[in-house]
Amino acid sequence: MLHKRLIYILLLITATGFLGSCKKWMDLKPNDGIIKEDFWKTKEDVQAAVVGCYASLLGTPSGSETHSAAELFFLWGELRADMLATFLGTRDNEFEVINVNTTAANTITNWRPIYRTINYCNTVLEFAPNVRNLDNTLTQQQLDAWLAEAKTLRALMYFYLVRSFKEVPLKLKATTSDNEIVTIAKSTEEDIIKQILNDLEEAESKAVVTYGNNVTDRGRITKFTINALQADVLLWSGKPDEAIIAADKVIDSRRYGLVQGSLGGWFNSLYVVGNSAESIFELQFNVQKLNPFYSMFAVGNKRFVAAQKVMDAVYTTDASSDTTRDIRGDGASVQAATSTIWKYVGRNYDDLRAIDESYANWIFYRYADVLLMKAEALTLRANGNDLQNALEIVYNIRSRARALPATDEAPPPGDPYAISMFILNERSREFMFEGKRWYDLLRYARRNNVDILKDLVSTTVPANMVVSAQAKMDDPYSHFFPIYEYEIQTNKQLIQNPFYR
Amino acid sequence: MKRFTSFYVAALLLTVAFFTSNCKKANIVSATTDDVNIYDYLKQNGDQFSSLVKVIDKAGYNAFLNAYGTYTFFAPTNDAFSKYLSANGKSGVEQLTDAETKDILKFHLLEEEVISSAFTDGKLPAITMYGQYLTTGIENTDGASLYKINRQALLETPNLKMGNGIIQVVDNVLQPSKQTVAQIVEANPDLSIFAQAMKETGWYAKLNALPASLTSGWYTVIAESNEALKDAGFDNYAQFKARYNDTGDPTKLTDSLNLFVAYHILPDIKYLADVVMAGSHQTMAPLEVITNKVVNKEVLINDDNFNGVHEPGARVERLASDLSATNGVVHIAAAHFPMKQRSPFPVYWDVAMFPELMRLSNFYKKAEYYFQYGDGNAIQDIKWEKGPLRYQANKAGFNKDYLQLFFNASNGGSWYEFKTPLLVKGRYKVWICYRQEGSCTNLVQVSMNGTPLTSALIQFSVKNATVDIPRDAAQEALGWKSYQIPAAGSGAGRMVGIVDIATTGRQTLRLDLVSGTCSTNNLDMVHFIPVSMEQLWPRFGTTGDGQIIYQ
Repeated sequence: MLHKRLIYILLLITATGFLGSCKKWMDLKPNDGIIKEDFWKTKEDVQAAVVGCYASLLGTPSGSETHSAAELFFLWGELRADMLATFLGTRDNEFEVINVNTTAANTITNWRPIYRTINYCNTVLEFAPNVRNLDNTLTQQQLDAWLAEAKTLRALMYFYLVRSFKEVPLKLKATTSDNEIVTIAKSTEEDIIKQILNDLEEAESKAVVTYGNNVTDRGRITKFTINALQADVLLWSGKPDEAIIAADKVIDSRRYGLVQGSLGGWFNSLYVVGNSAESIFELQFNVQKLNPFYSMFAVGNKRFVAAQKVMDAVYTTDASSDTTRDIRGDGASVQAATSTIWKYVGRNYDDLRAIDESYANWIFYRYADVLLMKAEALTLRANGNDLQNALEIVYNIRSRARALPATDEAPPPGDPYAISMFILNERSREFMFEGKRWYDLLRYARRNNVDILKDLVSTTVPANMVVSAQAKMDDPYSHFFPIYEYEIQTNKQLIQNPFYR
Repeated sequence: MKRFTSFYVAALLLTVAFFTSNCKKANIVSATTDDVNIYDYLKQNGDQFSSLVKVIDKAGYNAFLNAYGTYTFFAPTNDAFSKYLSANGKSGVEQLTDAETKDILKFHLLEEEVISSAFTDGKLPAITMYGQYLTTGIENTDGASLYKINRQALLETPNLKMGNGIIQVVDNVLQPSKQTVAQIVEANPDLSIFAQAMKETGWYAKLNALPASLTSGWYTVIAESNEALKDAGFDNYAQFKARYNDTGDPTKLTDSLNLFVAYHILPDIKYLADVVMAGSHQTMAPLEVITNKVVNKEVLINDDNFNGVHEPGARVERLASDLSATNGVVHIAAAHFPMKQRSPFPVYWDVAMFPELMRLSNFYKKAEYYFQYGDGNAIQDIKWEKGPLRYQANKAGFNKDYLQLFFNASNGGSWYEFKTPLLVKGRYKVWICYRQEGSCTNLVQVSMNGTPLTSALIQFSVKNATVDIPRDAAQEALGWKSYQIPAAGSGAGRMVGIVDIATTGRQTLRLDLVSGTCSTNNLDMVHFIPVSMEQLWPRFGTTGDGQIIYQ
């Protein structure tokens, strides 16, 4: 009898084993992660979160996203410009953008990777201040420096968005749980620019001048990153006087200089090794976190090659000797023989990087950029010696780069427009494939006239679409992307860019 | 017994436990999609499309617009219909006949899905069910750019995706053209001289017929305006006819006036957007082509370099062109472009001179370079089967360079194909000029436009037997010449055959390996010399400065 009862009990236990699965019902905390209540306790937490903001830009696409942030920076800055040519692997989405036929279903217009980084920055800005109450070792100065980094990074992200979409929702509060998801309407371009400039101004006085080592100084935001970004934003919003002041802060710091322009050496220093003396702020990839460019430029069915004009018209060639060439052209931006986009995948003049070496950095700002932004602003101010100084900067950049005489436009010294166009063209040589060309063209088009963009599309879209593409350019809203359809569907407050209705 | 019962109880418990832990209800999906179809969508949006729904009901198209398909439907709004009805003096959709409603709908319907990113400056890629193409373009009003469909309606909402196709919402009812290309030309007073010529030559009847099928019976007419003819010195039709009508009977196909008209007709429907996509187009004049270029956004007809001389082309009036007709399209040229009698001229073609090579300043005329097949056929005008193509510099060729073809050697393939420079139609002797090297034997067959040349195969290893100038004529008779200065037996020109070029333009030259596996096939130049002309001179320097010596 006892024996029998034992059997019953055993069977019952087995049965309950089936009923209840192996879940811990009582424990609400995840086993493999940290929740908010356990985080934001010490200054190490804050530092980790700040570094996480930068790291989020390195990230591979997650969830429904199809592009990483670095890839978007490239595509947004170059696809609509004139330096890329399509190749075997070019995707339909990319053809659409190149042909000025972007629709709201195009995943390239999905801004999520950018807003994710913005949300990380917002989270730091919201939760870090309270840590000072919990951790006495966190000084106010240190906290302010970290907040300045988050503010600047957020400002940089909004600057990308405002230049790409014109009007976007200005989200300044963190979203840390599903309950906090709010739908907000778009802000105007003016309001976003104002917010960016405010953030930068607040950050400027709090940010560090140096982190004490070269690599960190290029990979994290310093005071001079803020000044460079300020110059860019001010130039975009048509304030040349203030842009000159901001650029001068970088120049007068005497912390940066142009890397000597030797054949091969310059390319090696800036792009192969990276973090050069010329660099102000870079997105630093590494062996663990490779950049997205190898499959775009280096494989057989690559997605892009350099346009014919890059060697034929932008850099040109000189048949007199094989060492007279623009150091930025063949073997640096492009491998002329194959039209390969070389900047991110080349190891030296001849050889590609191996696939596991594809960690060339993405350069947001470098010293040459600040110099040329100042030159551009000088042509707009055009007081006293401004034009002369602007030309001096351009020729300085050119002689460093050993630019060929064929690309010297020799503008009349008193003609601000001709000098500014020379600067635009010099920028295309200097920052080839660095994600700046479209924004440069758009900035000039908004300032001068839309013909710059009409001429542009006549060289980039197929011949049977040129007339349409040019007529589209007459609508200023066509210069900006549509809001991705998923965002429109989920946020009823968003109104589509009128060009795409 | 009791023991058994307890076992049953236990087994029952287990079974129940097993089922309760696994009890989910399957959701059975009975439809493949929950997208609405075109007709349902229009019905659901009656505030915008109630008139259209009435038209569809009247035509009896409601069933098929709600069935499976991949349609594109240009859907006019209620406003569009009220404009259309009042313009036609009707008070409501009811007053349209069934046939009218059917025609209206057919002209708005395509059997393929076309979204706005496929819109060009010309016609849509698919034809309407009515049998005429719709055109697209962009119109800018008050700073906003919108798609204009068929120059009649603005696209209000693009690309609404339905279960059975795409809806494109338009603000006007689209109306098909009622005129043929002949009638369009005839109706335009600015084209009266051209129209008169069209009638007298008998082309009018041909251009006035409806297309026989989707692929035949469509025409593109590039009419010259009276203004253009006046600029060319023809004030009226009489003068024009006097100049061209050489046989007295304009209906004869060999008459110059007849040929003139035929030369302005393309045997297909080509909007300007289609015209600009190809460099040359066959006309109705036998074996005559027009060429076109886009220069500074203008479409130019016959803007060409002939024998080094630039001949400016005739501009097409872009705004006045692209006139849709029931059987084609009409363009208007702003200048006179007669058919030209061109006599063939010799072409001395340096094959090692193409943009992809000349761009390589480190290599061109300086150092050897390998074009790899794997680079995605890096050269636009040279194709080959596989392996590398080697550029050799500092060699005894014209301009100190030549191309080395790896027939079956170093992973090379068995053929190379070149696009030649422009050749005027006529008869040419083809000379393959190579630099002999090595002794191994390759036999190579040369073809032009797919036709093998039969005089000789090339043997890159064979020298010209003599370079003695007195014996040049004898050598020429054997099909050999010395093409270089200074002359050398290894700089050999081989006459591989006579070719008849049927149409002026760029031709295809192909080298096919017959036998052998050598890499030393040093192709330097190809000479196309009209048969009636001097074949032996000029000769070409090997010093690198492009020296050409005439006798």
